Amino acid sequence: MLAVLEQGLIMGLMAMGVFVSFRILNMPDLTVDGSFALGGAICVSFLLAGVPAAIALLLGALVGGGAGIVTALIHRKLKVNVLLAGILVMTMLYSVNLRIMNGPNLPIPRVVATSSLGSFEEEEGGDLLGGLFDDMDLPSGANERAKTPSSGPAKNIFHSDSGAGNLVLLSLILGATAVGLFVFLKTDLGTVMRGFGSNPDGVQAFGVSKTVLSVIGLAIANGLVGFSGGLFSLYGGFADVSMGQGMIVVGLAIVMMGEIVFGRKKPLLGVVAPVIGGVIYQGILALVMRYGYRIGFRASDMKLLTALFIVVMIALSLFRKPKAKLTVKKEVEKLWSNSKG
Amino acid sequence: MVELEGITVVYNPGQDNQKVALEDVSLGVNNGDFLVVVGANGAGKSTLLKVLLGEVEPLQGHFKVNGKVQTDRSPSRRAKTIGRVYQDPNSGVFPNLTIRENLSVASRKGMRGLGFSGIPQKVLEHLESLDLGLEKRMETKAGELSGGQKQALAMVMAIASDPELLLLDEHTASLDPKSAKKVMDLTKRINEKLGITIMMITHNMEFAGTYGNRQIRVEEGKIFEMDSPVPEAVCGKI
Repeated sequence: MLAVLEQGLIMGLMAMGVFVSFRILNMPDLTVDGSFALGGAICVSFLLAGVPAAIALLLGALVGGGAGIVTALIHRKLKVNVLLAGILVMTMLYSVNLRIMNGPNLPIPRVVATSSLGSFEEEEGGDLLGGLFDDMDLPSGANERAKTPSSGPAKNIFHSDSGAGNLVLLSLILGATAVGLFVFLKTDLGTVMRGFGSNPDGVQAFGVSKTVLSVIGLAIANGLVGFSGGLFSLYGGFADVSMGQGMIVVGLAIVMMGEIVFGRKKPLLGVVAPVIGGVIYQGILALVMRYGYRIGFRASDMKLLTALFIVVMIALSLFRKPKAKLTVKKEVEKLWSNSKG
Repeated sequence: MVELEGITVVYNPGQDNQKVALEDVSLGVNNGDFLVVVGANGAGKSTLLKVLLGEVEPLQGHFKVNGKVQTDRSPSRRAKTIGRVYQDPNSGVFPNLTIRENLSVASRKGMRGLGFSGIPQKVLEHLESLDLGLEKRMETKAGELSGGQKQALAMVMAIASDPELLLLDEHTASLDPKSAKKVMDLTKRINEKLGITIMMITHNMEFAGTYGNRQIRVEEGKIFEMDSPVPEAVCGKI
């Protein structure tokens, strides 16, 4: 149960980035698949180089944000459709991530530095993801390489024997990020960014550049995704070039799940919605992994289910009748006021 | 004073579908004028506004504001001196933001920071002067307003940061007659009380005659003062 919550929070952070691009900016940015793995690759690389985990995470977020800036510039300056711009950057990042990791993956060794002098001790426990990514082929060579780091890796912030410690840490990180994003969206810049999502040309009439807003917006979105990629890697104990595959679909499904709970009326609640959506998604994933085999499901079917979920949600939205919903809402309000009277 | 000197705009130059949208157009608009621009569809009226907004680059000619040639064509920079309201009520407001947030965005021009700016008193006074009760619905989303209310809000937003010139492109065309009249009355008040220069495109000849203090006609990319004779070549098209 703890693992489900923890993984759900990490996915929620990633979906927060998707929320910014899809719901705030109204820009379907597909860079996410690449920037998630990029955040992980950068974070683990710096961690192995001895950079403290907190700084490595921030560097992962910053570089992830850089990927968003590249997408925004390709989209705005070269007049490339944002979908294609995202695909181009995502494709580039596959090669970039291989370069960064000097291979398809980069495990974090189970030995961690206990002091700044670089002495090491064995840490108990293993993969916190509980076999979720067992289909990824981690080469033994990579493990060996990671076990004998040249400069000594810094200490991971997650421990497999920490009880609820990981959950508390992740909750604090998510809480701080959600509050930060919420406050940002209320500032002058955040407000005009939200306006940009509903009327992109309108912001120009008030002297605001669409390019600058796209750059800042996609930097924030992919920065959040890169940050979650870093957390995912620290939590799972590895970075992998394909760990971001299909993340945009997962992120969108999580955003939609959150919106089922909170609705879309108040977009600022959307900042919190992905967190709840992430936990729900991870819960469903855990159930499928645990009991799904009885009806023939495999963990690898989850991406199919996730994509189908989005298709069903879009189809349902076509059949929704706003007037009917309004009538129901009015009826409920009437009943409520009657019940009080 | 706003001046256009020898403006020529050609769409798709050198191609089979080349079109001369404006041909050697010169026009002076005095401060405080309420200029009405009329003409058939495709005559070049909207191109004229796009040149002013920096959205279309003229092949020849230049545009001056208070004697200064405007060389920077960036629409977001031009917007610092020029306000605009278009035909679509949703184009002048941010439907997903509240009235308060819309006015807050409009109260400043240029890039925003991480502060929390309020709404200047004069902007609230403009809103109250609409007499639509919008000042009592500050937390209502702009998208929930009627077309006329949206256009009225868009007008207040367009003048919130004291533009030199306000461009109106058929801004009452999609409104019912009652709402259109209210928005036109507001337009006149903005011109008379605030002294903002207005350039308004319209097909409504009644509004053109009632509200404007000067009228021009655009035909086949050329400008004629309303009291000038219509050339024979374009007589049948008006």
